[in-house]
Amino acid sequence: MNNRVWGTVLLTFFVLLVAAALILIVGASPLDAVRIFINGVLGTSNGVAEIMVKATPLIFTGLGVSLSLRTGFFNIGAEGQFYLGAMGAAMVAIYLTALPGPLRILLSMLAALLVGGIWALIPAVMKNRLGISEAVSTIMLNYIAIMIVGIAVRGFLQQPDSALPQSAQVEEAARFPQLWHPTRLHAGFLVALLCVVLVWFILERTSVGFEMRMTGHNQRAAYCLGLPITRSVALCALIGGGLAGLAGCAEILGIQFRLLEGMSSGVGYTAVLIALLAKNRPFNVLVVSLLYAAFQVGANSMQRQLGVPSAIVTIITGLIVLILLGSSVGTKMKESKGLKVKT
Amino acid sequence: MNSTLTFILAFMAAAIRMAVPLTYASLGESISERCGIINIGLESFMLSGAFFGYTAAYYSGSLLVGFICGMLAGMLISLIHGVLTISLHQDQTIAGVALNIFTLGVVTFIFTVSASSSGGASIATLQSIPIPVLSSIPIIGDLLFNNDIVVYLLILLVVGTSFYLRRTFWGMELCAIGENPQAADSVGIRVYKIKYLAELFNGAMCGIGGAYITLAQVGRYTDNITSGRGYIALAIVVFGKRNPYGVMLASLFFGAANALQYRMQSIGIPLPSQLFVGLPYVLTVLALLVSARKGSDPMALGKPYIRSMR
Amino acid sequence: MAYLEMRGITKGFQGVLANDKIDFCLEEGEIHALLGENGAGKTTLMNILYGLYQPDGGDIFLRGEKVNIQNPKDAINLGIGMVHQHFMLVSKMTMLQNIVLGLRPYGSPFFNKAKLRQDLEALCERYGLGVELDVPVNRLSVGIQQRGEIIKALYREAKLLVLDEPTAVLTPQEILEFFDIMRALKAKGCSIILISHKLQEILDVADRATVLRDGKAITTVKTKETNEVALSNAMIGRMLQEGSAHRETFAHDQPALSVSGLGLQEKEDLPVFKDISFDLYQGEVLGIAGVDGNGQLELAEALTGIRKHSQGDIVFRGQSISQLSIRKRFELGMAYVPSDRHRDGLIMDADVKSNIALRGYYKAPMSKRGILAANYIEETSERLVQDYHVKTAGIGQQSRLLSGGNQQKVILGREINSDPSVIIAAQPTRGLDIGATEQMRNLLMNFRNQGKSVLLISTDLDELLQMSDRILVMYKGCVAGVLKNDETLDLDTLGLLMGGYTCEVVADEQ
Repeated sequence: MNNRVWGTVLLTFFVLLVAAALILIVGASPLDAVRIFINGVLGTSNGVAEIMVKATPLIFTGLGVSLSLRTGFFNIGAEGQFYLGAMGAAMVAIYLTALPGPLRILLSMLAALLVGGIWALIPAVMKNRLGISEAVSTIMLNYIAIMIVGIAVRGFLQQPDSALPQSAQVEEAARFPQLWHPTRLHAGFLVALLCVVLVWFILERTSVGFEMRMTGHNQRAAYCLGLPITRSVALCALIGGGLAGLAGCAEILGIQFRLLEGMSSGVGYTAVLIALLAKNRPFNVLVVSLLYAAFQVGANSMQRQLGVPSAIVTIITGLIVLILLGSSVGTKMKESKGLKVKT
Repeated sequence: MNSTLTFILAFMAAAIRMAVPLTYASLGESISERCGIINIGLESFMLSGAFFGYTAAYYSGSLLVGFICGMLAGMLISLIHGVLTISLHQDQTIAGVALNIFTLGVVTFIFTVSASSSGGASIATLQSIPIPVLSSIPIIGDLLFNNDIVVYLLILLVVGTSFYLRRTFWGMELCAIGENPQAADSVGIRVYKIKYLAELFNGAMCGIGGAYITLAQVGRYTDNITSGRGYIALAIVVFGKRNPYGVMLASLFFGAANALQYRMQSIGIPLPSQLFVGLPYVLTVLALLVSARKGSDPMALGKPYIRSMR
Repeated sequence: MAYLEMRGITKGFQGVLANDKIDFCLEEGEIHALLGENGAGKTTLMNILYGLYQPDGGDIFLRGEKVNIQNPKDAINLGIGMVHQHFMLVSKMTMLQNIVLGLRPYGSPFFNKAKLRQDLEALCERYGLGVELDVPVNRLSVGIQQRGEIIKALYREAKLLVLDEPTAVLTPQEILEFFDIMRALKAKGCSIILISHKLQEILDVADRATVLRDGKAITTVKTKETNEVALSNAMIGRMLQEGSAHRETFAHDQPALSVSGLGLQEKEDLPVFKDISFDLYQGEVLGIAGVDGNGQLELAEALTGIRKHSQGDIVFRGQSISQLSIRKRFELGMAYVPSDRHRDGLIMDADVKSNIALRGYYKAPMSKRGILAANYIEETSERLVQDYHVKTAGIGQQSRLLSGGNQQKVILGREINSDPSVIIAAQPTRGLDIGATEQMRNLLMNFRNQGKSVLLISTDLDELLQMSDRILVMYKGCVAGVLKNDETLDLDTLGLLMGGYTCEVVADEQ
């Protein structure tokens, strides 16, 4: 018990030290940096709103990846699920103009869920049936998804009369409502919060979630005791991928309002780190996502005003995960058992 | 007719150039996977090679120093990966993803800071060295025998690695570790030591491959210049079945697809160029599906070897 | 002077003495069998010889000189080779590669296939062993693989070979070939130790046999001067049957579980088990005896549905359950206490109440319309923890932290909670202390005394004799015989069945 606390304190201290060192290298004063950071994060309404905006895709993908990790399925494919989910949502939102706005929004989300889910199910099936490691297959599918989107925005989804690789715009009625003028905060954040609660509820309170958790701990025992492990893992992949797809949907309906390339800014990979730091727990994912987003917002401020590169965020986050992996705290991570072939 | 030939030759030359970093990385990864380590963090190895190789060359004025530093940078990162996965038995995938993100952060940070002062200026890139006589052969002479020294080194490495795997005890022991580390341990093979060596070799190869991008192809470093080549190398390793000649051919194939992508417009084919970018990945997935049935992955791939209490 | 002498070897694991001052001698050029039941200490003794363990006490002498064996490399340098029960072969490599793996036969790192093949073929000829050198090991039969393991040891100049249960995986033909190989090796001057429990084979091929029991060396005899009865006697020892008298007997009319012609074939090799037929009646404990590895555990898994059997049928509660899922079989009333409780019976990282909910969480009353009824689950858990006297800090405690006995009680409580009619218990008291063992046995007997059935698989003969109404002996995947556990039970017969003699043969002897 005590060791844990000491470990966390030491880690925090060390990390702050590294951050301060990085700031000094740039020639800035750490004290100024702290001031500007806090100001950027909490000082303006835009700052606070940006935290929630940036946290939205992180929460979705973080939830999705953490759900997969819980059953021992290393979902590095959240990027692909994001893009295809975005594409599904865009297609519904842009073209089903006959339907009223709110209905269209719901259907867009559903489309994103389905497409993202199926995209995650493919590598899960490949692993279950053929024993193919998902580490490589999910990354391949990422690139294939990016290819599909790339073809789409230059082809069948391209905005008419335009040479730009982007889709037509989603009309106002089918967008997520803005929550806080004049910031970018949109209803997607609320949907994300809802998903956190839903995922928690499913995992902790339903029999289906119970199955998922138990299967994730020890698939062999779950199998021997009659649990439907194939169904559990498949469901987990489906929901996990669906959540990542929702991240893409939120990006379309809340920020970009059209399908583009390069929208994800690597959130699918960041989500892996977030899930790890959150120990795959839904509410932790929310907290870590918000913290990470806050860190990003603050770092942007520091970059703008002090010239501290915003890459400091990835350095610190990566460092934390690497240190955790390198210490005994990481043992929990290595014990997560992979999807074993039956018996 | 002549212009078609010129086009094809230029295209193939581009394919070869693009394939070089991929071949280096996939060669290293083939060795690594043969002894059971799958490295999602290849991207970070290549990136550090690209960046630190460029920086060293820039400040020292010597391309040789650049390549050596690139190689060392790759080895340093691979050492971290090795410690995490070999000695500490952490999951290889997680360690790889974490390293990718961390290294990109470090490199971008340093680049952003130093670029403001020196501006990421171009340096003179590696020149080709034509092989006498052979490079005068019409058509293919220029293509095959007028390349830079790193390419020639690569050929040697491919041949050497193939020989190592098929004709030496060292190579046999490496493969044994990847298939059944317990059996290897039981006959006295130093499992941990060889795994570390493989990891460092991988780092060195990726470092050189990454450095090639900045020092021989582009001439300078730009943000995230490797842009996914490390992941492509993973696909190439599957495609090439972890065989040195196989991954060389697969790299050429991917390089060709890449080169084709930029030439689609000029030859007026109505297919979207993205198709060519993504096609190799589709083929890799198909290759995965086909090879899975035969169980051709090393049996202990991805599993940390923990010498358990007997 | 003996070639090998092990004097006073003692080795303990967590308070249990696996080897208790064992003296063992091996003459040069003899085939010496090491006999004993499960847990007698044979493998431990040999692992000490091979350097995998260090003894707590005692010495080893080779040709009269004291030796210190710290690891397998030392053993190999001293000319000791071991062929384990589970082969250490790289399956995708050829036999030739496997044999030379880890060595530099000519000092250079370059692989000279032609010369190596020449040398190996000469070696094979010298010892009269034939093996395909250029085929990947996974395409070779188990018998050939074993030969390869032997050649591997011989190539490293082993003069003393230890083979652990070598015939366990061989077909009858391969066993005969194996005997020929042993005799050939002996003729070439090798000294061989065979770890086995197969009485007939030992009498056929070994010169002498040493029997171990409970970690002690009981006797060493020349096989020519003894017979299987004496050997099995020494292995099992005489035991008094206590407590078997106070048992209410039930009429054996309706079988609760009926198995006919059950067989499981996994690869082209030997069947895992075959032609298993028996009835399990209400109000009885049917003990399954047999040395570990004769198919009993796999049989249990086939009955519960964890493995799919290839032939035969299982009839339970009047219907054939062969096609039913694990869950369906449990719902019909078949409970299971697995032998590896950490891997198959409990989710160690989950808390006690989750483990208790594992069998019934998906339907009422543990869940309603997909939502878990947390209160009901907690109440049930509290009740079971109390009823079964499970010592735990609370139902929310992680199961990993409970002692073995308490973990086992959680499993049993959970299984019995749904009112099954049959419990299949595989090694239920393995790894438990005396108190927990006693409790487990009582719980199972109570279950039986209510008119229900228990299929008890155990390598502990004491346990089987104490608890069973009938004992079925399994040997090499077949039913060797079924004996009634009453005054008529002849321990010698039991021992012989376990050692590979069928009932008819035994009857002839007597």
